[in-house]
Amino acid sequence: MTAVAPTPALASSRSGRRAASGATMLAAGEPVAWLMAAGLGLALVMISGLLALVLWNGGTTFWPGPIVELRTLDGATLLGEEFRRERYRPDETLLADQSAAVRTAAAQALSGDGWTSRSLLRTANFDVTGTHFTWISDYEIVPDSVGRPEWAIGIERLEFGRFFGFPLRGEEDRRVVAEGEAATWAWFEAHHREVRRLWEERRDLETHEVGGVNRALESERLRLRGIELREGIPAEWVVAWSDLLRTRRGGSAEEIESARTRLAEIEAAGFVPTDRFRAAAAEFEAEEATLNDRFVELTGEIARLDAAMDRFVMVLRTVDGVEKSIPLAEIVRAIPQNQLGVGGRLLVFLDRWREFLLDGPREANSEGGVFPAIFGTVAMTLIMTLAVVPFGVLAALYLREYAKGGAVISAVRIAVNNLAGVPSIVFGVFGLGFFCYVVGASIDQLLFEAKLPNPTFGKGGLLWSSLTLALLTLPVVIVATEEALAAVPRSMREGSYACGASKWQTIRRIVLPRALPGIMTGAILAMARGAGEVAPLMLVGAVKLAPELPIDGVAPFVHPERSFMHLGFHIYDLGFQSQNSEAAKPMVFTTTLLLIVLIALLNLIAIWLRSRLRRRFAGSQF
Amino acid sequence: MTEPTFTGWVRRRSTSLRVKVADAVARILITVAGLATIVAVAGMCVFLVAVVIPLFLPGKVEVEPVRPPLHDAAGRPPVHLELDEYQTLGVAVFADGEAAAFDPRSGAVLERRKLAGDAVPTAMGFAPTGGIGMLGFADGTVRQVALRFAAEFIEPSRIEPEFRGLAVGESKVRDRGAVQRTPSGSFRAQVFAPVVRDPVKVSEHPIRLVDLSMQASGPIFAAFSEDGRLHVQAVTVIRNMMTRAETQRLSGGSLEVDLAAQGGRLPAHLLLEGRADSALLAWADGMALRVDTRDRATPAVAESFRLLDEAGASVTAMGFLIGKTTVVVGDSFGRVSTWFRARPSDPAALQGLVDGSRFERVHLLPGAGRGAVEAIAASSRTRMLAAGFAEGDARLYFVTNERLLAECPPPAGQVAPIAAIAIAPKDDALYAASRDGLWSWRLDIPHPQTTLASIFGKVWYEGYERPEHVWQSSAGTDEFEPKFGLIPLIFGSLKATLYAMLFGTPLAILAAIYTSEFMHPSTRARVKPAIEIMASLPSVVLGFLAALVFAPIVERAVPAIVVTVFTVPFMVLLGAHLWQFLPTARATRLAGLRIPAALLAAAAGALLAFVLAPAVERWCFGGDLMAWLSARPGGTGDAARFASGAGGWLFILLPLAAIVTWRVQARRLATIRHATAGMPRPRAAAVSMLVFLGSSGATLLIAWAMGLVLDAVGFDPRGGVVDTYVQRNALVVGFVMGFAVIPIIYTIAEDALSSVPEHLRSGSLGLGATPWQTATRIVVPTAMSGIFSAVMIGLGRAVGETMIVLMAAGNTPILEWNIFSGFRTLSANIAVELPEAVQHSTEYRMLFLAALSLFVLTFVVNTFAEAVRQRFRKRAFAL
Repeated sequence: MTAVAPTPALASSRSGRRAASGATMLAAGEPVAWLMAAGLGLALVMISGLLALVLWNGGTTFWPGPIVELRTLDGATLLGEEFRRERYRPDETLLADQSAAVRTAAAQALSGDGWTSRSLLRTANFDVTGTHFTWISDYEIVPDSVGRPEWAIGIERLEFGRFFGFPLRGEEDRRVVAEGEAATWAWFEAHHREVRRLWEERRDLETHEVGGVNRALESERLRLRGIELREGIPAEWVVAWSDLLRTRRGGSAEEIESARTRLAEIEAAGFVPTDRFRAAAAEFEAEEATLNDRFVELTGEIARLDAAMDRFVMVLRTVDGVEKSIPLAEIVRAIPQNQLGVGGRLLVFLDRWREFLLDGPREANSEGGVFPAIFGTVAMTLIMTLAVVPFGVLAALYLREYAKGGAVISAVRIAVNNLAGVPSIVFGVFGLGFFCYVVGASIDQLLFEAKLPNPTFGKGGLLWSSLTLALLTLPVVIVATEEALAAVPRSMREGSYACGASKWQTIRRIVLPRALPGIMTGAILAMARGAGEVAPLMLVGAVKLAPELPIDGVAPFVHPERSFMHLGFHIYDLGFQSQNSEAAKPMVFTTTLLLIVLIALLNLIAIWLRSRLRRRFAGSQF
Repeated sequence: MTEPTFTGWVRRRSTSLRVKVADAVARILITVAGLATIVAVAGMCVFLVAVVIPLFLPGKVEVEPVRPPLHDAAGRPPVHLELDEYQTLGVAVFADGEAAAFDPRSGAVLERRKLAGDAVPTAMGFAPTGGIGMLGFADGTVRQVALRFAAEFIEPSRIEPEFRGLAVGESKVRDRGAVQRTPSGSFRAQVFAPVVRDPVKVSEHPIRLVDLSMQASGPIFAAFSEDGRLHVQAVTVIRNMMTRAETQRLSGGSLEVDLAAQGGRLPAHLLLEGRADSALLAWADGMALRVDTRDRATPAVAESFRLLDEAGASVTAMGFLIGKTTVVVGDSFGRVSTWFRARPSDPAALQGLVDGSRFERVHLLPGAGRGAVEAIAASSRTRMLAAGFAEGDARLYFVTNERLLAECPPPAGQVAPIAAIAIAPKDDALYAASRDGLWSWRLDIPHPQTTLASIFGKVWYEGYERPEHVWQSSAGTDEFEPKFGLIPLIFGSLKATLYAMLFGTPLAILAAIYTSEFMHPSTRARVKPAIEIMASLPSVVLGFLAALVFAPIVERAVPAIVVTVFTVPFMVLLGAHLWQFLPTARATRLAGLRIPAALLAAAAGALLAFVLAPAVERWCFGGDLMAWLSARPGGTGDAARFASGAGGWLFILLPLAAIVTWRVQARRLATIRHATAGMPRPRAAAVSMLVFLGSSGATLLIAWAMGLVLDAVGFDPRGGVVDTYVQRNALVVGFVMGFAVIPIIYTIAEDALSSVPEHLRSGSLGLGATPWQTATRIVVPTAMSGIFSAVMIGLGRAVGETMIVLMAAGNTPILEWNIFSGFRTLSANIAVELPEAVQHSTEYRMLFLAALSLFVLTFVVNTFAEAVRQRFRKRAFAL
């Protein structure tokens, strides 16, 4: 033997060096290590795959693709955008219904493994054909019949989903002013912007002006009702009196007379209102008259705008030759999709994103934008943060700085920790039962009696949703704040006390500033959790379509009692309650993308803060 | 007191008032707000409990003073009572055909009317609700009656001044009727306005018994005439367009009842079921005859049976519950039982049944009353039942859950038998008439149908074959009974959790061990946040992807996915064994490529699965997995392909067989190690590979053989963990929800593993153990409690997850373990039903109970996990 002594482990084995390699190989447990590696790898692949799926589907939704025209063996011509493509195996029952030509083609195509591909073609034109989509198997298409007609136009309109067709002529006041594809298109481009401006003007009139008149009328009515309740006015008199008002506005002489007699009869029976109410009623009558005049004026204005818009009509031809007139006012966007280059497509893409982010939804949420949902999500998250941070921080301060330690406090701490694991829906149930039905109903009784039985606060709304989610995220803030407080070195506190500072001075000047980044991390994590939570909101105030934003220009500007739209609920509603779910799917993906980006941003901010906090503490020890 | 120092500054010796005040204020504010926050959190639990408790409170019953008796000309008490919805007016029907409207508060008779002129009815039958009835006469005719109230609304200015002072809800007698103030301020005036149709002749003999049932097409009635014939007739009303006169036409037939078999006695009760499908004749001694009346022209005897077991007992009262399906039988011993037609659950009993069902005693209501049951009344909104007894007391039962709701003692000093009894239409009062007076009880029983036993136990609902756990809270008709059994929902929650944990736990723990033990720290710092991002993914996103993206994909590739479950681990292990052929030095250098290599192997496994799937489908599942799942053993013809369950067993038993061979191999590991100890690495790797391939083959063989045996013995996997495929199922939910719990389990488990002190690892490695040995023998056992608590916390999260199951689980509350079928969880059920539930209704409180169950369940699981984790931390610090 040479002088080199074997390591003790090897020396103990019987046959020296060679033996070691085999023994350690089995001891390395490579197979199970591989299983673990595969587990980790799969988890990572799944996350990235999922994010990529959402990113791809959500990101490409608004990209205008080409419009294809094709003929099937059955003799039908189809025009549409390819929506989705998949491989499938057609079964015999499906083929049995087809014509002979299709069956032969199918037999040929399926002679291999029985699989073929099919495309989901968005043929749109729901008002003409009754469907939005058509499945086309590859073998059904007449070979070489697929083309991209230059003048195929994709139209997004206010009703019935999209429309694909060819421009035929432009009409003004039922007179043909442009004919032929190019001419009609030029005419359309020349007038569309102007007509849409009128349309927007009309929409603003309707929502702001007419809405304002209605609001004013409603508030007058509520004021009168308030006096009625306070003064104990007989309901019968009020009914008869409003009958009289109504008949005066549009009734015949006999009707007015009969209403007046009825009122007199009631008063004769001793049901007389107080003078104060009479005065208020007279005031209401006058106010209603002015508001009515204003309403009539606005209706006239709207009719004028309608007339101006309805002059312009574009007539299009579907691929089957059906003519379809579409008023220009109804066209949100028309795109000659096959003529656009990359730049043109990009412009459309960006414009659609603008609409998505800044406009309200249309067509039962499956088209248009999600601005109200973004607004609702942000408003709800902010109010939630305002509610949760002070209380969470106070509770953490109490637990960490003021409470005398002991079994009770550690039990409370465990309970708070565990609250984070309580299902969110339970908070929703609590929010509905307590905030809406107990607190809200009491507020209604006290402050909004005139509106009853219609609830004001006694139903789901922004405030209650925010408070419910505040409760839900409270543990997040408490735990994060406690950790941040605990991370402030004792030596700093003691130093402060040694300088003669009081407890509160120490907390305010020394502890809180050091803990602030940690507290903010907690707050942001709470925001991220709150923004993504949907289940409790379904119970306490998120709705599929809210006519008004919870914060607007009408006094008192913030309306915490209003229901609101929420991105997460929007996803649920769009994916599950939508009638045209296939068309809504891309919108769901885009909304999902938006929500994920929002939450990822919040999380990234939290992570960044956490790392800053760590760096800052690295040097803060004395 | 203060003196200037040499600097000229005044030295302050006491803390300034401002600081003191600020300190005190801060202390008070923080203590109060902090405590309030914590109390608010506790308040949540208290609030949930407070909403739930009324479900289990007994009702309140309050007896009211006696009022003078109602009686007819001969001084007899009424045979039937009826009240209007607001209890402002009542109607008593007497045996002589007279009906008296009375004031329920004073008992004063306001108006008497002969329902059928001077004819005295020989038989009477009333439906349990709505005051609809039929009278039979000695001349063989019957007349339909409806005890109706005519209501009129009067404005306050038009009503007589003496009523104007009435408070809302208060009522007062107004000539022959009553007037009540409504919440809107006007007055509702009601009078008794019975509707009596013209007589129709059915027999030449006097009618002894009669009952009717209202159908959409018109009334159908059954009448028993003295000559022993049962007549079943449908009445069609024909209206003459010109004269507006109505004529009634009968269609039906009759059946001669064999009275001799009953000792020549006439039956005492006749009941016609709600859909007029069968009629029941009962004799006083307890014999009963059920007649199949589906074909009205030729009624036929369906079965004959006894309603009472003991000799000496006799049937003293019979009636229907709402819906006219459940028959109530009261006997002379004061016992009340309910019966309905049910399909027998065993097929053998089905033979010989005319209409596939037989009458069964479903509920025997608890306790016997004093004296015979004299009168029975059903509630017009629930399955509540009132029975009046011979000694003047009454009892209220809830039939479905066999609960005695209340005992109603007669007013002080009264003992007369109850002649007629009625539950007020809103279930808020009980009225009983005896020969000595009119009695009533105020009832306040808001949730009669919920008991702990009925929520968590099996309940035999009307129309079911046997007692079952059912959750079904609403349906279209008024006669529907809501069924509040929480078990199907709890089962759904557990099923979702189980399948999610089956998928998520192994993946998360394997990944955590790899991250903490085999990964370079710098990579670890990047991998961990990546997985934590997963935790912040909103569950609504996962739910949407599960339901609209994964579910359709999975549906198209079920065979491949089933095969994937086995090929992926196999290929990964195969890859590892191939890797072992690499020389030691190179393998060490390439260790960083383990994840990509393993992923490649996993991808190869998935590919292999897709290649193998059609063949596997052919061999194991008769060529079509979906059809195989829906089929049952014993099929013939084309279905014979799917008869064998062996293929299914193969896949179910594979994991079991794998564990068995793995254990066996682990036992022999030392032997193999000794055997390979002397070999060069490639040869050792070859041996290892052979062992692996051999045990894989053995696994397959064992599973296959066991499957064949089980199939031969007659067990079939279908109907258990696999069954008919539904698109939204536990497989999809398990996958996506497993995905949702992976980051939670992973993070906590990884933390636990990382916090195992470094010196333990160093010591182990220093003694010559490989990283793998260190991980399995030192680190994992030390961190075991931490890993356990990670799993528990993940479990708590999965139990309460709402959006994923709401969107992807189909929400059908069924009790089956089938991985290919849907379910409904507690949380999803709340989300679906709470927005529609009326505040304070039984359903509302039941949903709060569901929320409370979730709260308690997760709180217990989390506290347990937290306690384990704290213990682990302490131990890890001590090491």
